[in-house]
Amino acid sequence: SSDSEFESASEKVAESKQHEINSEGTEMRSQISDHSLKRKAVLTTDSGNCTAEEASESEVENSSLNEGDDEEGSHDESEVEESNRKGIRDTEAKKSGRIKPTKFKSVEAEEDDVENLLREEEEYEEKIDFSADTTGALKWKEDLTQKAAEAFLRQQRSTPNLRKLVYGTAVEDEDQE
Amino acid sequence: MAGEAQCLSYAGCNFLRQRLVLATLSGRPLKIRKIRAKEEDPGLRDFEASFIRLIDKVTNGSRIEINQTGTTLYYQPGLLYGGSLEHDCSPSRSIGYYLESLLCLAPFMKHPLKIILRGVTNDQVDPSVDVLKATALPLLKKFGIDGEGLEIKINRRGMPPKGGGEILFACPVRKVLQPVQFTDPGKIKRIRGTAYSVRVSPQMANRMVESARSILNKFLPDIYIYTDHMKGVNSGKSPGFGLCLTAETINGTVLSAELASNPQGQGAAVLPEELGQNCAKLLLEEVYRGGCVDSTNQSLVLLLMTLGQRDVSKVLLGPLSPYTIEFLRHLRSFFQIMFKIETKTPEEEHMGGEKVLMTCVGIGFSNLSKTIR
Repeated sequence: SSDSEFESASEKVAESKQHEINSEGTEMRSQISDHSLKRKAVLTTDSGNCTAEEASESEVENSSLNEGDDEEGSHDESEVEESNRKGIRDTEAKKSGRIKPTKFKSVEAEEDDVENLLREEEEYEEKIDFSADTTGALKWKEDLTQKAAEAFLRQQRSTPNLRKLVYGTAVEDEDQE
Repeated sequence: MAGEAQCLSYAGCNFLRQRLVLATLSGRPLKIRKIRAKEEDPGLRDFEASFIRLIDKVTNGSRIEINQTGTTLYYQPGLLYGGSLEHDCSPSRSIGYYLESLLCLAPFMKHPLKIILRGVTNDQVDPSVDVLKATALPLLKKFGIDGEGLEIKINRRGMPPKGGGEILFACPVRKVLQPVQFTDPGKIKRIRGTAYSVRVSPQMANRMVESARSILNKFLPDIYIYTDHMKGVNSGKSPGFGLCLTAETINGTVLSAELASNPQGQGAAVLPEELGQNCAKLLLEEVYRGGCVDSTNQSLVLLLMTLGQRDVSKVLLGPLSPYTIEFLRHLRSFFQIMFKIETKTPEEEHMGGEKVLMTCVGIGFSNLSKTIR
């Protein structure tokens, strides 16, 4: 339950941020630095015109994805990564155009890399990563997100559900009610 | 209280103390079958029989039935009565075995408990009286059980196998317990300890202190280890020595570790230097495990949280011990209470090993026997 609270809270922040960006498109650079400061709280870095309906829609999608298996998550992440590189180049062009809503899973206190990864979106745009459009971008940086995603999922699996271990499996069902 | 409650049935000799204590507090009758039924020496052991006698002493109107071989025990709890008592504990377990359960029961007596326990004060199995004095009493204070009346005093030390120690345990009564929010242990502020020796050279204690300090001095300067050499009648019947260490944090959490020498005539002789070093390492291990309550008192804190007012209590613990896990299951069967158990990774807490955050709502237990003045 705390997860979903956090999710909705940060969703709100993200939304308000998006409106800000909308109205003050010229102040993009300052926004970016602002973003990097608030990365923990605001999981999305978005320059989009996201309406409230879209946002709620994405949340619904997102929650259904959360319940799905981990496989899907890692698949999405590779997509995100691809779109990252693509997105950066046409960031400037996109700024005034239409933008898709961002979706994310909430991951409390995870590393930023992992947070990045857990966003799943067709055309996600990353503005801060300058190293990627440099020609001499370092190789080891390329699949950092992928590696982090794997590490996160590995850890997630290895952490046991203590309540289940202590009280047995039957507890889980009655607990949900 | 008792009559209409359903009888709980268990098999096996494990967790006898837990079951008897929880049955007494909840007022539910208890039946335990197959106590060591398949062993060569079946039935209850002498220390268990002594424990049952102790429960009988502190309660009024309990009905205890044990079959001829001692493999089946029926217990219908009476009311917790308390008062001034004496009890001779079996020397096969230390007084800590009995005292741990008394700590759970004492706050809910009709009359404040003041009991003299005789037997083994320090051994290698159970938490020693020194450790319980240093860790459990501060814990009780957090739940509002405090004041002049709360004390553990070691009159005589007794080492296994023969014992001969004597302690005094006194505890005031409370109508209700306060809920606790105990989630931040804080940093270690100081280390205290007791190095005791009886019927051996008093130099043993100094040697233990020196070797323990050789390890602990690297971490913080505020270390003081008392040496406690008891003589004459105060030294019990068997020789031995040992060390208890406690680490106190800025938020009042006390973590403990202890070691005792091998009983006379059992196992190889232990060097005091070795014992001191190992005990210091055990303390470091305990600090690594961390949490707001040390591993000896996990079940005590969970019980007191359960019996609190109808309010949320939280406590951060280190890894749960097997005894605590079974205790949680027993709490569910006796009080229908389940804890919310959340794991906290070391990265989140910036320290030590994995932690567990335990949350529950108290059942609103109140001491019915206590008259309001």
